[in-house]
Amino acid sequence: MDLLALARGPLLSLSLAIFFAGIAWRLYGIYRFGAKPSLATPRSTTMFSAAARTVFARMLPRRGFHPSATLVMINPYVFHLGLAIVAFGYLPHIDFVKRLTGAWWPALPDWLVVLAAGATIVSLAMALLFRLTDPVLKLISRADDHITWIVTMLPLLTGMAVILESSSAVHAREAVVYPVPLAIHLLSVELLLVWFPFGKLMHAILFIPGRAQLGMFNERRGVRS
Amino acid sequence: MIDYNVFRQFGAAIAHLGEMAQQTEIPDEQRVRQAKVVMLSKIDRQMAVDLESCVKCGYCSEACHFFVQTNEPKYVPTRKLDLLRRVYGREVSPLRFVRRLFEAEITADELRQWQELVYDSCTECGRCSMACPMGINIARGVNVMREALAAAGLAPDELAAVAQEQEQRGTVFGVGPKELQEVIAKLRESGLDVPLDKPKADVLFLTTVIDILLFQDALLATVKIMNRLGLNWTFRTGGFEAANFGLLSGMEDLQRQASRKIIDEAIAIGAKTVIVPECGHAYPALRWEGAAMAGKPLPFEVLAISEFLGREIKAGRLKVKSAGVRKLTYHDACKLGRHGGVLEEPREALRALGVDFRETDPNAEMNWCCGGGAGVFLINRAAGLRQKAFELKQQQIDATGAESVVMSCGSCRLNFMNGQANTGWPVKIESLVELVGENLED
Repeated sequence: MDLLALARGPLLSLSLAIFFAGIAWRLYGIYRFGAKPSLATPRSTTMFSAAARTVFARMLPRRGFHPSATLVMINPYVFHLGLAIVAFGYLPHIDFVKRLTGAWWPALPDWLVVLAAGATIVSLAMALLFRLTDPVLKLISRADDHITWIVTMLPLLTGMAVILESSSAVHAREAVVYPVPLAIHLLSVELLLVWFPFGKLMHAILFIPGRAQLGMFNERRGVRS
Repeated sequence: MIDYNVFRQFGAAIAHLGEMAQQTEIPDEQRVRQAKVVMLSKIDRQMAVDLESCVKCGYCSEACHFFVQTNEPKYVPTRKLDLLRRVYGREVSPLRFVRRLFEAEITADELRQWQELVYDSCTECGRCSMACPMGINIARGVNVMREALAAAGLAPDELAAVAQEQEQRGTVFGVGPKELQEVIAKLRESGLDVPLDKPKADVLFLTTVIDILLFQDALLATVKIMNRLGLNWTFRTGGFEAANFGLLSGMEDLQRQASRKIIDEAIAIGAKTVIVPECGHAYPALRWEGAAMAGKPLPFEVLAISEFLGREIKAGRLKVKSAGVRKLTYHDACKLGRHGGVLEEPREALRALGVDFRETDPNAEMNWCCGGGAGVFLINRAAGLRQKAFELKQQQIDATGAESVVMSCGSCRLNFMNGQANTGWPVKIESLVELVGENLED
């Protein structure tokens, strides 16, 4: 079995199994704790809308709160949006998902995906720079922050290395022209999948219950969150 | 009028407060064990989500008055939960088997180091949670850390002294039923009818040590307002103290005991409403945590005095006249506003007074804390830090151009007065209940 077959076959299955089982284990580990109901008479009982509102509202900077460095605030928008465009908008990625699950959706133009990938790489580099130089971020950073940065950056770099022709050309052809670089790219994605449940990448899921519970807590008290 | 001699005596008493704390020698291993027991007992689903979620973005630092004013990285709010995260991570988290290999046990030295972080440099104002993109309730975690440190015998001496007094003697700063009776006798001398210990009443009115000792005008205004409304109300010597030093120091048993005293008294007289005076933390202590302390929903409503005033004025039951064309702003006490949800009612009252009302920026749930809440005002070694935080508040008020700042929290008022004494700040500091009481329609 060559490297690409290994990456596309057993290693992909293994990484996906760890990804899903790990997420399930971590969520079970959190949700097995009971939730204490509030006995105080609430000011408002519209909990679902408060939860939903907070989940979406916290995506935007809050009025009355201004991080001192605007760049520090804008940068995360760049890499979050960039990652979403690259991961879900690039035609070969959609083809990959289609082969696995049958699901597909329209792709974004190559120029936009390449631009997003470039911006994301620069943005992640800046995020690392902030983390290594800002006294607050230096103090609160842990190994998880650095490992997460590495496993997020690797698929971008290895992915850029295999963009040598248009996505429609790749889409139209069955054979793989660059098997080793593609295998390395796939392995880097599998590394990300394996790390996801164990580190802070879980925030991609936990932001929903986290924001929702604060939204409901505040709503009960009549406080906008 | 405030008796500034009493204010100075109060300051002098606070300076020696720590000396009154009863010290207990606890071996370090036991301190760690006791702290961990408390931390683990407080882990529920909400706390687990909070402790799992931090992405270490550092945004919370920008929301914290202590960080903003000092630029000291150690004050970043999320870091204040690090010991709690470690105990959770090693003992009960889903990844505990892995985390035990990489994360060390907490130590007694770290607990001592955390004293400054969760007491001196945190008023549990909750502003950091408003900024957190993950929605982490950092103030709740800090409160758990306070409880853990208190269990480890590491609450600051000043808070421990007051908590021990409230627990053992039922008094706060020496104020008990006798002192309440004395101040009521003084109010009655001015011709007012002040109900005390009525066996049955619709409204139980609480007061605080600060009002009894220092802000007696607030008490006077309260009595005038309640009588004007013609309500069947009373003070009760068996349960009048709204301040809850169990909550502030992190001693949950005392918090329960202090809350139960009020709850039992309210039930005994058949009160439909309990009104909390101008005391910030006392409001969430009873309104939002009282039922948990009682173990069942409360059979009466709990209102903050500012909430009550706004409601009565809006309903047209309480008529006020113009307080004159004065430039005036309002300071939202964190425990009333961000923690309590009392945001609109005090503004209703101020607008009804016909003043030139100016909002601070930011305001309401994003308002800056005055720096003295959650008992920080009593911690002597925090004086410098507290003053720096207050200066931010001062700048915020100055930017409104107001001649006067109104508030509805005695602790904030004390902290403002203390800051003013340090800087000679010319802005007038006023109480909402006094302002309304002085301007009741004839």
